[in-house]
Amino acid sequence: MLLQYLSLMRQEVSLIFIAVLVLICELTVNQRYKKVVIPITLVLFGVHTILGFVPFDGGKLFGGMFATSHAQALMKSVLNVGVFIILLQSVAWLKKEVNFQKSNEFLILLFSTLTGMYFMISSGDFLMFYIGLEIASIPMAMLAAFDTFRSKSSEAGIKFLLNSALSSGILLFGISLFYAISGTIYFDDLPLYFSPVSPLFALGFIFFISGLAFKMSLVPFHLWTADVYEGSPTIVTSYFSVISKGAAAFITSILLFKVFFNQLYLWKDIIYLLSVLTMTVGNLFALRQTNIKRFLAFSSISQAGFILLGLVNVDSLGVTAIIYFILIYILSNLSAFGVVMAIANVTGKEEIKDYNGLYKTNPLLSLTMMLAMFSLAGIPPTAGFFSKFFLFTDAAKGGYYWLVFIAVLNTIISLYYYLLVVKAMFISPNEQPIERFRSDIYTRTALLITVVGIFAVGIYSPIFEYIRNIIDKF
Amino acid sequence: MEIAASKVIFYIIAAAILFFALLSVTSKRILRAATYLFIVLISTAALYFLLNYQFLGAVQIALYAGGIVVMIIFSILLTSHAGQKFEPVSRLKFFASLLAVLVGWALSLWVILSHPFVASSKEAVEVNMDSIGKALLSYDRNGYVLVFEVISILLLAAMIGAIVISKKQPGDGETNPDNSKTSK
Repeated sequence: MLLQYLSLMRQEVSLIFIAVLVLICELTVNQRYKKVVIPITLVLFGVHTILGFVPFDGGKLFGGMFATSHAQALMKSVLNVGVFIILLQSVAWLKKEVNFQKSNEFLILLFSTLTGMYFMISSGDFLMFYIGLEIASIPMAMLAAFDTFRSKSSEAGIKFLLNSALSSGILLFGISLFYAISGTIYFDDLPLYFSPVSPLFALGFIFFISGLAFKMSLVPFHLWTADVYEGSPTIVTSYFSVISKGAAAFITSILLFKVFFNQLYLWKDIIYLLSVLTMTVGNLFALRQTNIKRFLAFSSISQAGFILLGLVNVDSLGVTAIIYFILIYILSNLSAFGVVMAIANVTGKEEIKDYNGLYKTNPLLSLTMMLAMFSLAGIPPTAGFFSKFFLFTDAAKGGYYWLVFIAVLNTIISLYYYLLVVKAMFISPNEQPIERFRSDIYTRTALLITVVGIFAVGIYSPIFEYIRNIIDKF
Repeated sequence: MEIAASKVIFYIIAAAILFFALLSVTSKRILRAATYLFIVLISTAALYFLLNYQFLGAVQIALYAGGIVVMIIFSILLTSHAGQKFEPVSRLKFFASLLAVLVGWALSLWVILSHPFVASSKEAVEVNMDSIGKALLSYDRNGYVLVFEVISILLLAAMIGAIVISKKQPGDGETNPDNSKTSK
């Protein structure tokens, strides 16, 4: 009995174990030895990430409130990979004097949000889903306000908290309408009550999807994104744009396929519209950004629009393409953020024009950034090409040629602004480029992992097959 | 006759909730807004008692009316001048939000009223504490022990986060030009 609980909840249990361990270290370990907590946490989290890939059969616990399967375990593992890279990148930042005092708290908050995402992905009813969502978002507000000495950071925290409270309210109103129709909150029972579709269901669904769209920062619910991304510490911004967004996309796909599958004709159009709007508006705004963090914020908005492409045509290829896309998006975006962070850590510069002539002084960083930009834009042979290719294939298979056409047009627009960054680094002349510097070993390892990933995940096809096999069984 | 009486009471409470909720969001003084919110929360508790949800009503009073409003008032008094007035909203914003609210309200109302709800055949009886306690700690269907436990993670993270944000740091005064005046 206990063994069954442990084996099904192993990822949650081991993550909470790590978080509690960090908490105990914070309380008991002498200041002099505080340095070792970060590497130990890194090793433990690395083991946790690898163990997550060990296949275990899925099942249901707590009367269906907690459900897990190979597919859900895989989604958590994909998030783990991203968080591991972020942890590597955060070491240099955490070791700074201003942050070192609260480095353990940073880790605990980070792990709590990840725990929330786990429970959200594994939820079997709306109550668990909502609690998971809140655990994933409330500590995020504190992480956004982590730089207590910068007022922009506090602003980001407040803005995020207010926006997430508003979106949670909208989401809960939608859920309450579902409850009014069915009298149950369990995902297994809900579909029985939803057909035939009543207007009340449609209203509830619109509220519900709006709440989720806030969390995923889809257009027109994206207005908070740029300010929060710019104000937060860069490491938190990368967490926002990669892990939070990935988890929200996962849970949206799970819910749409599990609970609302029979109402496909209703939500297909909503997703279609959101996808087109998100890709286009995100791109148009990204064009005019001069701050690299705001630029990446808008580029991540438009990337979320591409994720939605995988949802319009419901089949296993769609889900596979979404997971594959998010894995590659994590690698490419973290590689870009890694470079931004390495530069910001040393020089504090965050404008795109500061990158002028970077190639002359820091060729390796420039090459990494270039690869990241190519992968985000989808240029072969980087992995970004393949992930977009599969998403487009899936949408085209469902007959959504116009959607694919719009998506391809958007890819071309995005190519322009991604190349602007590359141009700044390689071509634009600058008399005082950022001076040559050498990052610490953790940052370099993280960048190496992302660069290898950008190539390997795209070219080495068994990875795609592996995801596909797992999803087919789902 | 009894049904008619409870209907009258319901409409009185509902009107009070609506009225004070409106006052709470339109009031120009923040402390008054908090007080109106307090009345809204108490009236909601009254609604629960009317429906025979004794436990929920008690929780509503103890947690929301008791705990959260006090916390809100505390934080208002600690952070801002209680008598401070909000700036008036611009005309365009006012009418735009009014339009959005009215349309959204009318649409929701129309949809909800036109939905054929199935009337519950169950009598409204008082749920005894025994079964609430068992449901809270049960790990079968309709049991909430997992949620109960997971919320503790949320509370722990919230506490740690609150400490991180509010803790004064050695470097705080020097790095921020805004703070340096007040801290020294």
